[in-house]
Amino acid sequence: MPDWRILAVIVVLGAVSYALRTGGFLAASALPQGGLLPRLLRMAPGNLFIAFVAAGIWQGGLPSLVGCCGAVAAMAATKREWAALGAGFAGAAFASALL
Amino acid sequence: MGMAMRIAISSTYPFTAMAFRRGFVSALPFIASNGIAGVVMGVAYRGLELGFVPAVLFSLVVYSATAQAVTLGLWALPPPIAAMVAACGATNARYLVMGAHLRQLFPDVPRRVILPILFLLADASWMMTVAEAERGRRDAGYLLGSSLPMAIGWIGGTALGYAAPLMPHGPLAIAAAFLPLAFVTALLPTQWRGWQSLMPWAVSAAVGVAVAGTIGQSWAMLIGGGAGTLVSVLRGGDA
Repeated sequence: MPDWRILAVIVVLGAVSYALRTGGFLAASALPQGGLLPRLLRMAPGNLFIAFVAAGIWQGGLPSLVGCCGAVAAMAATKREWAALGAGFAGAAFASALL
Repeated sequence: MGMAMRIAISSTYPFTAMAFRRGFVSALPFIASNGIAGVVMGVAYRGLELGFVPAVLFSLVVYSATAQAVTLGLWALPPPIAAMVAACGATNARYLVMGAHLRQLFPDVPRRVILPILFLLADASWMMTVAEAERGRRDAGYLLGSSLPMAIGWIGGTALGYAAPLMPHGPLAIAAAFLPLAFVTALLPTQWRGWQSLMPWAVSAAVGVAVAGTIGQSWAMLIGGGAGTLVSVLRGGDA
Protein backbone atom coordinates (compact mmCIF):
# COMPACT_ATOMS: atom_id res chain seq x y z
CA MET A 1 0.00 0.00 0.00
CA PRO A 2 1.61 3.26 -1.06
CA ASP A 3 2.31 5.88 1.56
CA TRP A 4 -0.56 8.40 1.58
CA ARG A 5 1.98 11.24 1.40
CA ILE A 6 3.33 9.87 -1.87
CA LEU A 7 -0.17 9.64 -3.32
CA ALA A 8 -0.87 13.18 -2.12
CA VAL A 9 2.22 14.42 -3.94
CA ILE A 10 1.15 12.63 -7.13
CA VAL A 11 -2.39 14.03 -6.99
CA VAL A 12 -1.24 17.57 -6.20
CA LEU A 13 1.47 17.63 -8.87
CA GLY A 14 -0.95 16.09 -11.38
CA ALA A 15 -3.47 18.82 -10.61
CA VAL A 16 -0.82 21.52 -11.02
CA SER A 17 0.33 20.07 -14.34
CA TYR A 18 -3.21 19.79 -15.72
CA ALA A 19 -4.09 23.27 -14.47
CA LEU A 20 -1.13 24.67 -16.39
CA ARG A 21 -1.99 22.67 -19.52
CA THR A 22 -5.55 23.99 -19.53
CA GLY A 23 -4.97 27.34 -17.82
CA GLY A 24 -3.35 29.00 -20.79
CA PHE A 25 -6.15 27.86 -23.08
CA LEU A 26 -8.89 29.05 -20.74
CA ALA A 27 -7.22 32.34 -19.90
CA ALA A 28 -6.07 33.18 -23.40
CA SER A 29 -9.05 35.33 -24.24
CA ALA A 30 -8.54 37.42 -21.11
CA LEU A 31 -4.76 37.78 -21.26
CA PRO A 32 -3.06 40.56 -23.24
CA GLN A 33 -1.45 39.22 -26.39
CA GLY A 34 1.69 41.29 -25.82
CA GLY A 35 3.44 42.82 -22.85
CA LEU A 36 5.29 41.49 -19.83
CA LEU A 37 3.48 38.28 -18.91
CA PRO A 38 3.91 36.37 -22.20
CA ARG A 39 7.58 37.43 -22.23
CA LEU A 40 8.08 36.21 -18.67
CA LEU A 41 6.48 32.86 -19.51
CA ARG A 42 8.64 32.52 -22.58
CA MET A 43 11.90 33.39 -20.81
CA ALA A 44 11.42 31.52 -17.53
CA PRO A 45 12.02 27.87 -18.61
CA GLY A 46 15.59 28.36 -19.90
CA ASN A 47 16.65 30.31 -16.83
CA LEU A 48 15.07 27.78 -14.49
CA PHE A 49 16.69 24.86 -16.32
CA ILE A 50 20.20 26.34 -16.22
CA ALA A 51 19.92 27.20 -12.51
CA PHE A 52 18.82 23.62 -11.78
CA VAL A 53 21.66 22.18 -13.87
CA ALA A 54 24.33 24.47 -12.36
CA ALA A 55 23.28 23.61 -8.82
CA GLY A 56 23.16 19.91 -9.71
CA ILE A 57 26.67 19.99 -11.18
CA TRP A 58 27.93 21.86 -8.13
CA GLN A 59 26.48 19.16 -5.90
CA GLY A 60 27.35 16.14 -8.06
CA GLY A 61 30.91 17.10 -8.97
CA LEU A 62 32.92 15.84 -11.94
CA PRO A 63 30.65 12.91 -12.94
CA SER A 64 27.69 15.29 -13.19
CA LEU A 65 29.75 17.81 -15.16
CA VAL A 66 30.95 15.18 -17.64
CA GLY A 67 27.46 13.70 -17.94
CA CYS A 68 25.87 17.11 -18.54
CA CYS A 69 28.43 17.99 -21.21
CA GLY A 70 27.73 14.67 -22.91
CA ALA A 71 23.97 15.21 -22.75
CA VAL A 72 24.15 18.75 -24.16
CA ALA A 73 26.52 17.71 -26.96
CA ALA A 74 24.36 14.72 -27.93
CA MET A 75 21.17 16.79 -27.82
CA ALA A 76 22.70 19.56 -29.92
CA ALA A 77 23.97 17.02 -32.47
CA THR A 78 20.99 14.65 -32.68
CA LYS A 79 17.97 16.64 -31.37
CA ARG A 80 16.97 13.34 -29.68
CA GLU A 81 16.32 13.26 -25.94
CA TRP A 82 16.98 9.54 -25.68
CA ALA A 83 20.41 10.02 -27.29
CA ALA A 84 21.19 12.85 -24.87
CA LEU A 85 20.14 10.71 -21.92
CA GLY A 86 22.29 7.81 -23.10
CA ALA A 87 25.32 10.04 -23.63
CA GLY A 88 24.82 11.73 -20.26
CA PHE A 89 24.42 8.41 -18.47
CA ALA A 90 27.54 6.97 -20.13
CA GLY A 91 29.59 10.09 -19.41
CA ALA A 92 28.61 10.19 -15.74
CA ALA A 93 29.29 6.46 -15.31
CA PHE A 94 32.68 6.74 -17.06
CA ALA A 95 33.81 9.74 -15.00
CA SER A 96 32.62 8.08 -11.82
CA ALA A 97 34.57 4.90 -12.62
CA LEU A 98 37.75 6.92 -13.18
CA LEU A 99 37.52 8.70 -9.81
CA MET B 1 -14.05 19.55 -53.13
CA GLY B 2 -14.37 16.21 -51.37
CA MET B 3 -12.31 17.41 -48.44
CA ALA B 4 -14.32 20.60 -48.08
CA MET B 5 -17.57 18.59 -48.12
CA ARG B 6 -16.25 16.10 -45.58
CA ILE B 7 -15.28 18.80 -43.08
CA ALA B 8 -18.46 20.75 -43.60
CA ILE B 9 -20.62 17.68 -43.14
CA SER B 10 -18.74 15.92 -40.33
CA SER B 11 -18.70 18.77 -37.83
CA THR B 12 -18.67 22.50 -37.36
CA TYR B 13 -15.22 22.40 -35.80
CA PRO B 14 -11.89 20.88 -36.94
CA PHE B 15 -11.64 17.46 -35.32
CA THR B 16 -11.40 14.56 -37.77
CA ALA B 17 -10.50 10.87 -37.61
CA MET B 18 -8.27 11.32 -40.63
CA ALA B 19 -6.14 13.90 -38.85
CA PHE B 20 -6.09 11.71 -35.73
CA ARG B 21 -4.64 8.82 -37.74
CA ARG B 22 -2.14 11.09 -39.45
CA GLY B 23 -0.95 12.48 -36.12
CA PHE B 24 -0.76 9.03 -34.52
CA VAL B 25 1.32 7.57 -37.33
CA SER B 26 3.60 10.61 -37.48
CA ALA B 27 4.31 10.36 -33.75
CA LEU B 28 4.88 6.58 -33.61
CA PRO B 29 8.68 6.98 -33.24
CA PHE B 30 7.99 8.69 -29.92
CA ILE B 31 6.90 5.35 -28.48
CA ALA B 32 10.56 4.33 -28.70
CA SER B 33 12.20 7.64 -27.72
CA ASN B 34 9.79 8.46 -24.89
CA GLY B 35 9.88 4.79 -23.94
CA ILE B 36 13.63 4.87 -23.37
CA ALA B 37 13.36 8.06 -21.34
CA GLY B 38 10.47 6.49 -19.40
CA VAL B 39 12.60 3.42 -18.66
CA VAL B 40 15.24 5.70 -17.18
CA MET B 41 12.61 7.42 -15.06
CA GLY B 42 11.30 4.04 -13.89
CA VAL B 43 14.80 2.97 -12.84
CA ALA B 44 15.22 6.24 -10.95
CA TYR B 45 11.88 5.77 -9.17
CA ARG B 46 12.86 2.26 -8.15
CA GLY B 47 16.09 3.70 -6.76
CA LEU B 48 13.92 5.81 -4.45
CA GLU B 49 11.99 2.65 -3.43
CA LEU B 50 8.83 4.47 -4.48
CA GLY B 51 6.79 1.36 -5.32
CA PHE B 52 5.59 0.17 -8.73
CA VAL B 53 2.08 1.63 -8.58
CA PRO B 54 3.13 5.12 -7.39
CA ALA B 55 5.93 5.16 -10.01
CA VAL B 56 3.50 4.44 -12.85
CA LEU B 57 0.91 6.80 -11.37
CA PHE B 58 3.51 9.56 -11.33
CA SER B 59 4.06 9.23 -15.08
CA LEU B 60 0.34 8.76 -15.77
CA VAL B 61 -1.05 11.60 -13.64
CA VAL B 62 1.74 14.19 -13.73
CA TYR B 63 2.91 13.21 -17.26
CA SER B 64 5.74 15.71 -17.50
CA ALA B 65 9.35 14.55 -17.86
CA THR B 66 10.71 17.89 -16.74
CA ALA B 67 8.49 18.28 -13.70
CA GLN B 68 9.02 14.65 -12.72
CA ALA B 69 12.79 14.98 -13.08
CA VAL B 70 12.90 18.15 -11.03
CA THR B 71 10.65 16.82 -8.28
CA LEU B 72 12.68 13.63 -8.28
CA GLY B 73 15.70 15.78 -7.49
CA LEU B 74 13.79 17.29 -4.56
CA TRP B 75 12.58 13.92 -3.25
CA ALA B 76 12.70 13.31 0.49
CA LEU B 77 10.48 11.77 3.16
CA PRO B 78 8.30 13.48 4.15
CA PRO B 79 8.03 14.99 0.66
CA PRO B 80 8.58 18.80 0.53
CA ILE B 81 5.23 19.35 -1.21
CA ALA B 82 5.38 23.16 -1.29
CA ALA B 83 8.80 23.17 -2.96
CA MET B 84 7.69 20.44 -5.36
CA VAL B 85 4.53 22.33 -6.34
CA ALA B 86 6.53 25.51 -6.90
CA ALA B 87 9.11 23.63 -8.96
CA CYS B 88 6.43 21.78 -10.96
CA GLY B 89 4.56 25.02 -11.64
CA ALA B 90 7.70 26.91 -12.59
CA THR B 91 9.08 24.26 -14.94
CA ASN B 92 5.70 23.69 -16.59
CA ALA B 93 4.88 27.39 -16.99
CA ARG B 94 5.57 26.99 -20.69
CA TYR B 95 2.30 25.05 -20.99
CA LEU B 96 0.46 28.30 -20.30
CA VAL B 97 1.98 29.79 -23.43
CA MET B 98 1.29 26.63 -25.46
CA GLY B 99 -2.31 26.54 -24.21
CA ALA B 100 -2.82 30.20 -25.05
CA HIS B 101 -1.47 29.54 -28.55
CA LEU B 102 -3.78 26.54 -28.99
CA ARG B 103 -6.73 28.73 -28.03
CA GLN B 104 -5.85 30.99 -30.94
CA LEU B 105 -5.46 27.97 -33.19
CA PHE B 106 -8.70 26.24 -32.16
CA PRO B 107 -11.13 28.95 -30.99
CA ASP B 108 -14.00 26.98 -32.52
CA VAL B 109 -13.32 23.63 -30.82
CA PRO B 110 -15.64 23.11 -27.83
CA ARG B 111 -14.06 22.93 -24.38
CA ARG B 112 -15.58 19.49 -23.76
CA VAL B 113 -13.42 18.26 -26.65
CA ILE B 114 -10.19 20.21 -26.21
CA LEU B 115 -9.81 20.14 -22.40
CA PRO B 116 -9.49 16.32 -22.15
CA ILE B 117 -6.99 16.37 -25.04
CA LEU B 118 -4.87 18.90 -23.17
CA PHE B 119 -4.27 16.30 -20.44
CA LEU B 120 -1.89 14.67 -22.94
CA LEU B 121 -0.35 17.90 -24.23
CA ALA B 122 3.41 17.54 -24.72
CA ASP B 123 6.05 19.86 -26.10
CA ALA B 124 6.52 17.75 -29.22
CA SER B 125 2.82 17.22 -29.95
CA TRP B 126 2.22 20.97 -29.60
CA MET B 127 5.05 21.70 -32.04
CA MET B 128 3.82 19.07 -34.50
CA THR B 129 0.26 20.42 -34.35
CA VAL B 130 1.41 23.99 -34.89
CA ALA B 131 3.52 22.89 -37.88
CA GLU B 132 0.56 20.94 -39.27
CA ALA B 133 -1.67 24.01 -38.95
CA GLU B 134 0.93 26.13 -40.76
CA ARG B 135 0.66 23.64 -43.64
CA GLY B 136 -3.03 24.45 -43.81
CA ARG B 137 -4.25 21.36 -41.90
CA ARG B 138 -5.60 22.86 -38.67
CA ASP B 139 -7.19 19.95 -36.77
CA ALA B 140 -7.52 19.11 -33.07
CA GLY B 141 -7.66 15.43 -34.03
CA TYR B 142 -4.02 15.71 -35.04
CA LEU B 143 -3.14 17.03 -31.57
CA LEU B 144 -4.79 14.02 -29.92
CA GLY B 145 -3.33 11.54 -32.40
CA SER B 146 0.23 12.83 -32.05
CA SER B 147 -0.03 13.05 -28.25
CA LEU B 148 -1.06 9.42 -27.71
CA PRO B 149 2.17 7.63 -28.79
CA MET B 150 4.17 9.99 -26.60
CA ALA B 151 2.05 9.15 -23.56
CA ILE B 152 2.13 5.42 -24.32
CA GLY B 153 5.93 5.49 -24.57
CA TRP B 154 6.44 7.53 -21.43
CA ILE B 155 4.03 5.66 -19.15
CA GLY B 156 4.86 2.22 -20.55
CA GLY B 157 8.57 2.97 -20.34
CA THR B 158 8.28 3.96 -16.70
CA ALA B 159 6.54 0.68 -15.89
CA LEU B 160 9.11 -1.31 -17.84
CA GLY B 161 12.04 0.52 -16.27
CA TYR B 162 10.70 -0.11 -12.80
CA ALA B 163 9.96 -3.78 -13.41
CA ALA B 164 13.13 -4.62 -15.39
CA PRO B 165 15.78 -6.55 -13.45
CA LEU B 166 18.36 -3.76 -13.44
CA MET B 167 20.24 -3.19 -10.18
CA PRO B 168 22.71 -0.32 -10.68
CA HIS B 169 25.62 -0.16 -8.27
CA GLY B 170 28.97 1.65 -8.15
CA PRO B 171 29.48 3.98 -11.12
CA LEU B 172 26.15 2.85 -12.61
CA ALA B 173 24.34 3.85 -9.43
CA ILE B 174 26.01 7.27 -9.51
CA ALA B 175 25.07 7.65 -13.17
CA ALA B 176 21.47 6.61 -12.41
CA ALA B 177 21.29 9.23 -9.67
CA PHE B 178 22.49 11.75 -12.23
CA LEU B 179 19.67 11.01 -14.68
CA PRO B 180 17.16 13.61 -13.39
CA LEU B 181 19.80 16.20 -14.07
CA ALA B 182 20.36 14.71 -17.53
CA PHE B 183 16.65 15.13 -18.36
CA VAL B 184 16.78 18.84 -17.72
CA THR B 185 20.23 19.24 -19.30
CA ALA B 186 18.98 17.64 -22.51
CA LEU B 187 16.36 20.39 -22.81
CA LEU B 188 18.88 23.21 -22.48
CA PRO B 189 19.72 23.55 -26.22
CA THR B 190 16.02 24.01 -26.99
CA GLN B 191 15.94 27.06 -24.71
CA TRP B 192 19.09 28.76 -26.00
CA ARG B 193 18.22 32.00 -27.80
CA GLY B 194 21.74 32.90 -28.95
CA TRP B 195 24.19 35.18 -27.20
CA GLN B 196 21.43 37.22 -25.62
CA SER B 197 20.85 34.20 -23.35
CA LEU B 198 24.40 34.33 -22.02
CA MET B 199 24.02 37.03 -19.35
CA PRO B 200 20.69 35.84 -17.89
CA TRP B 201 21.90 32.23 -17.90
CA ALA B 202 25.16 33.19 -16.19
CA VAL B 203 23.20 34.98 -13.48
CA SER B 204 20.79 32.03 -13.13
CA ALA B 205 23.68 29.58 -12.80
CA ALA B 206 25.68 31.70 -10.36
CA VAL B 207 22.70 32.44 -8.12
CA GLY B 208 21.58 28.80 -8.35
CA VAL B 209 24.98 27.56 -7.14
CA ALA B 210 25.08 30.18 -4.38
CA VAL B 211 21.61 29.18 -3.19
CA ALA B 212 22.48 25.46 -3.33
CA GLY B 213 25.50 26.13 -1.13
CA THR B 214 23.65 28.26 1.40
CA ILE B 215 19.86 27.91 1.54
CA GLY B 216 19.64 24.46 -0.03
CA GLN B 217 19.39 22.52 -3.27
CA SER B 218 15.58 22.58 -3.20
CA TRP B 219 15.39 26.32 -3.86
CA ALA B 220 18.35 26.72 -6.19
CA MET B 221 16.31 26.41 -9.37
CA LEU B 222 13.51 28.73 -8.33
CA ILE B 223 15.64 31.53 -6.90
CA GLY B 224 18.41 31.20 -9.48
CA GLY B 225 15.99 30.97 -12.40
CA GLY B 226 13.97 33.85 -11.01
CA ALA B 227 17.10 36.01 -10.82
CA GLY B 228 18.03 35.20 -14.43
CA THR B 229 14.49 35.87 -15.66
CA LEU B 230 14.55 39.21 -13.85
CA VAL B 231 17.80 40.08 -15.64
CA SER B 232 16.16 39.19 -18.95
CA VAL B 233 13.23 41.47 -18.23
CA LEU B 234 15.44 44.36 -17.12
CA ARG B 235 17.60 44.04 -20.23
CA GLY B 236 14.53 44.08 -22.41
CA GLY B 237 15.72 41.05 -24.32
CA ASP B 238 13.84 37.94 -25.35
CA ALA B 239 15.95 35.25 -23.64
